Amino acid sequence: MNKVKVLFFATMRTRAKRSSIDLELAENTTIAELKKTLIAKIPALEASLPSTLVSVNREFAFDEEMIPTNAEIALFPPVSGG
Amino acid sequence: MKPSNFPTIISITEDEIDLNALVEKITLTSTGAAAIFTGMVRGKTKRTGHAQGIAYAPHETTYLEYEAYIPMAEKKMRQVADEIREKWDVVEGIAIVQRIGKLYPRTPTVLIACTASHRDTGVFEAARYGIDRLKEIVPIWKKEFMPDGEEWVEGEYIPKREE
Repeated sequence: MNKVKVLFFATMRTRAKRSSIDLELAENTTIAELKKTLIAKIPALEASLPSTLVSVNREFAFDEEMIPTNAEIALFPPVSGG
Repeated sequence: MKPSNFPTIISITEDEIDLNALVEKITLTSTGAAAIFTGMVRGKTKRTGHAQGIAYAPHETTYLEYEAYIPMAEKKMRQVADEIREKWDVVEGIAIVQRIGKLYPRTPTVLIACTASHRDTGVFEAARYGIDRLKEIVPIWKKEFMPDGEEWVEGEYIPKREE
């Protein structure tokens, strides 16, 4: 199993009502599959997911990419700094 | 001085942004120009606009609360600085600073400063590019508090692969 930490920021943190969750994923899980797992655990995330950005180990990541072991994953809306 | 030795300052801080101190740090003996952009909390928004396809009307802002995914934000700010150096090899020093926490109108929230030998080197464009990229790829968000409610501000930019 692959133990990962998923961090939530901004609207995603508000929706998830928490700032992170620890998950155990099967080997070779993709970002798209992770999203499905997250929706099952936290249904409130579903409405935001189409516009959500994902990072893996602090780089932007995309649906078809596989999640490496012990990854630090984050979900957040398009950025609004400055 | 070799370009690789030029100063690059990257910072995410809850403290006041000290413009003079930052410019001093990126001023070399060869420097003759600094382009400094700073953004502040706007208390009264007069023009209409849109974010995420949702129109906003003129309104007042009581304060903004900034949040960052700090380790990734620092990494992406460094990437913005690298991109500036790739595009404008004349740029000498770069400072990119984002203030986070609860910030009230008229307070500077961000600084992008670039230095070069002369003003006609592209140094203005370099600073402009820096703030535009920060608003695209650096994971920082703000929540707006208004007299009649609060709302997360969301951007629009979807990063591409290899960004």
